[in-house]
Amino acid sequence: MSGVNLNTYQNVPDTWDEMYISDNNLREQYHKIVEYLKKESASDLNKKEELAKRLFMSQGITFTVYDSGEGIEKIFPFDIIPRVITSSEWGFIEKGIKQRLKALNLFLKDVYSNQFIIKDKVIPAALIYSCPHFLREMYQLNVPHDIYIHIAGIDLIRDYDGTFYVLEDNLRTPSGVSYMLENREITKRLFPDLIPQCKVRSVTEYPSILYKNLQALSPRAVSNPTIVLLSPGMYNSAYYEHTTLARLMGVELVEGRDLVIRDQKVFMKTTTGLQQVDVIYRRVDDDFIDPLVFNPSSVLGVAGLMSAYRKGNVAIINAVGNGVADDKAVYSYVPDMIKYYLNEEPLLKNVPTYSLDDPDQKEYVFQNMNKMVIKKTNESGGYGMLMGHAATEKEMEDYKKEILKDPRNFIAQPTISLSTAPCYMDGVLQPRRVDLRPYALVGPDGISIVPGGLTRVALKEGSLVVNSSQGGGSKDTWVLSS
Amino acid sequence: MLSRVASSLYWLSRYVERSDGILRMLKINYASSQDTIQEFTWDPVIRISSGGNEEEMAAIKNDSRSVVEYLLFNRDNPNSIINIITLARENARSVQEHIATDLWQCLNEYYHTVKDPKLLWYVQKDDPITALDILIKQVMLYYGTADSTMERGEIRSFMSIGKYLERSIQSIDILDIKFISISSNPDLLTDTSYWKHLLLSLGGYELYLKTYRGGFEADNIMELVILNKDFPRSAIYSVNNILRYFERLKSDKNLDHYNSLSFNIGRLNSSITYTTVYSMEAEGLHNYLIKLKNELYGIGNLLDKYYFANY
Repeated sequence: MSGVNLNTYQNVPDTWDEMYISDNNLREQYHKIVEYLKKESASDLNKKEELAKRLFMSQGITFTVYDSGEGIEKIFPFDIIPRVITSSEWGFIEKGIKQRLKALNLFLKDVYSNQFIIKDKVIPAALIYSCPHFLREMYQLNVPHDIYIHIAGIDLIRDYDGTFYVLEDNLRTPSGVSYMLENREITKRLFPDLIPQCKVRSVTEYPSILYKNLQALSPRAVSNPTIVLLSPGMYNSAYYEHTTLARLMGVELVEGRDLVIRDQKVFMKTTTGLQQVDVIYRRVDDDFIDPLVFNPSSVLGVAGLMSAYRKGNVAIINAVGNGVADDKAVYSYVPDMIKYYLNEEPLLKNVPTYSLDDPDQKEYVFQNMNKMVIKKTNESGGYGMLMGHAATEKEMEDYKKEILKDPRNFIAQPTISLSTAPCYMDGVLQPRRVDLRPYALVGPDGISIVPGGLTRVALKEGSLVVNSSQGGGSKDTWVLSS
Repeated sequence: MLSRVASSLYWLSRYVERSDGILRMLKINYASSQDTIQEFTWDPVIRISSGGNEEEMAAIKNDSRSVVEYLLFNRDNPNSIINIITLARENARSVQEHIATDLWQCLNEYYHTVKDPKLLWYVQKDDPITALDILIKQVMLYYGTADSTMERGEIRSFMSIGKYLERSIQSIDILDIKFISISSNPDLLTDTSYWKHLLLSLGGYELYLKTYRGGFEADNIMELVILNKDFPRSAIYSVNNILRYFERLKSDKNLDHYNSLSFNIGRLNSSITYTTVYSMEAEGLHNYLIKLKNELYGIGNLLDKYYFANY
């Protein structure tokens, strides 16, 4: 039986491919995988694909799409071919992310206290105050150890020459880490022995590091603080992740209705009465976290939570109000923050970003709209985007009108040709665009980044959008040890 | 433990137990419907195990395949297997981190099995017992997995209380319906297959034969189903277990609530311990069973109030 035919793989022009330098010229980090694949027939790989689907399904790693009252279980598409990152690439990413997070955390501390960065005119005050995620409720509120960002999922992409760029800093409630963990578990079953042979670094430490950090943040000096994970509930699309993390850390998974505030302290309702809660890892957005302070119609949060937070009786992870630091318009100032707070040159590059609030930049963007990606500053998940290279004249005109209504709400970036990685599709390997989201954990002892992350794939041929809500899938991500 | 979690564990367990009871009853009744010269009546089964509307059921009650399909797959029947397993799974999903991963996967498989189109095909076109056997096996896997993987603590207590509460109510219901049919049709008293099916659907046929040699007697059946401590589906066995698992919940933190519920469970346990076949007959079996059921419902309500924070 002949192995999988790799000769049909065609690099996309002017694009960095993770596996091939040029046609038939493999990068070293993929040698072992390709050797392995050459021994497998297409039907073997099809079987592996089936096995992967079955494992996801039987473990309930699914999200539910509700259609006419009937829940339909779907799995997040998974491509079986791992994406490989070399140890030197990883070393650079790690340093770059740590530097960036240090600066972003100092920025949050600063905007919510002295605001030196505004007074020194590094960032315009108008930009900060016009950001809907800048929360006055956080002003002068002391968070434990001055840490605002405990968990970050910074999205990285690679341009045609392989340079890494930061596309987005996700500093609020980044999701997807359970897929990093599950994808690895599944790959272990799909390619027995290959992981140790390739010397792939393990990702399993993530929950224990996170747990240790959460424990260290407890405001009460008790040996065994009560830590909970606050979820919006089982109808949330990331619910599987919430239960996985709660189980792996051995903490209680709660919903808003399980919690109650007494004397500015947080308690959970248990079968043996009320029990005080010290640390809340929340997966509920700022807006919904306390109906007395934010969205009054929210039933996902806890009335009075902010008062307990302000009083210092509970730690909230991530801190409330982080959205001001990952706002897409504030994003373009992150290199300046790094220089301002750390006096260092930024390691990871920003994608050039045009502010549509600025008349000159706006004019330039309107002239070159077909080469731009235009995004709303406060949307995520790939919603409300205009991909200039694929848009029609009419779509562009309509979008311009939208922009003119509220220019602050939009930014534009030149279209980056994301790198491609091989995916197993219809019996052959085909290049598809990918990004990378490593997960960084910040605790009182410093920043740790588990070697790996979530590689998201745009499964449609030619597509540049990797978001799962827009038809994206994921891959296991291997970081090799040197 | 969170009140919400305790409540989900309890209901998860009740739903699985309910599905077990319905499946076994369906299997036995379907088999006997293939073994009769008169028209087989599904009336009692439908009355015990469906919550659907009367007209719909009247239309199908003489067609065995349709009844099986209705009780397994009909979304409008709140007690159909597909509906209760969906609920069981939703409860399990909301407490996933409290139950063993193996148990969650087991329940998840059960759910996907019920939804498998092949099962419907067995019921409609092929041998319905194959479909029922596949599902019964899923329940057995669930119980085996629960037994060998679940931690022995509060979690287990709430699950067990749910299981035995559901089981006792089911046994009482089956017994009650069967005896009510007799009062309107005394010929059944001497119909061997009638009793045999009652015992088979409770899984007590073999034990009955071993315990009471020689023929079926109404008294003996009442004794087995209500008062036999060694029969795992008897009312007394379930009540003993409810008491046993409830006592493990004792804690200094909520002594008042514990004592109040403990009083009710203890009273029920004593009353059933000192019941005899003669006292049941003196009171009227139907009246006795109704009283017993109300006691059990009362325990459910108090759990809701004191432990699940639903007030």
